[in-house]
Amino acid sequence: MGMLLLIFVLLVSMAVTGLIALFLKDLMASIILFSAFSFLAVFIYLSLGAPDVAFTEAVIGVVATTFFISALRRMRRGCSR
Amino acid sequence: MNKEYDSIILSTAYRYFIPFIMIYGVYVLMNGEYSPGGGFQAGALLGIAIVLDKLVWGEKAILNISGATALILAGIGTFIYALIGVLTMVFKGNYLAYGVFPLAMTEVERHALGILGIEIGVTICVMATIIVIFDSLTRREE
Repeated sequence: MGMLLLIFVLLVSMAVTGLIALFLKDLMASIILFSAFSFLAVFIYLSLGAPDVAFTEAVIGVVATTFFISALRRMRRGCSR
Repeated sequence: MNKEYDSIILSTAYRYFIPFIMIYGVYVLMNGEYSPGGGFQAGALLGIAIVLDKLVWGEKAILNISGATALILAGIGTFIYALIGVLTMVFKGNYLAYGVFPLAMTEVERHALGILGIEIGVTICVMATIIVIFDSLTRREE
């Protein structure tokens, strides 16, 4: 029961983080929220008993965040406000 | 890339981080049979170490692998994988059936060695691909 509650809370946080990241106007904040989304996914994979997938997700989350930030610097507009 | 990323905190932190990330990548590759990990994760770790180095130090990075070199490295990684597969076929086995290698060891050891070989190929390929993507994202057009 406790495990189910934990996974439920993590899933709700993931949905909220993802939706906010989609609708924010500030792209830098979107990237950081995407990073948090990926971190929550790591915890979900760990609690579901898949440490291998969790490890991959953690590493790829870092790689994707670095790529997004590089692309953002390339675009020369951090904030569309 | 630029001078504005170059603060003393960043340079000191990454000078200590990058060797540990790279050693952890090699550990993940070598210990992948007994613990979570494997070729893909090891390649991503090595790639992120080199990308962080290039991100902090720019052109002066110690591990300054250019995009063209990384593209060649990606090809070499794929070639290692395919070469081991074709070698097993040369020794009259199926593709990637490692048991046919004429080595003086047990079948299980031969399997472990063959899998380590293809994992090294996957590691090089993934590392080089991450560097290529980063390079094409940050390259300056003249």
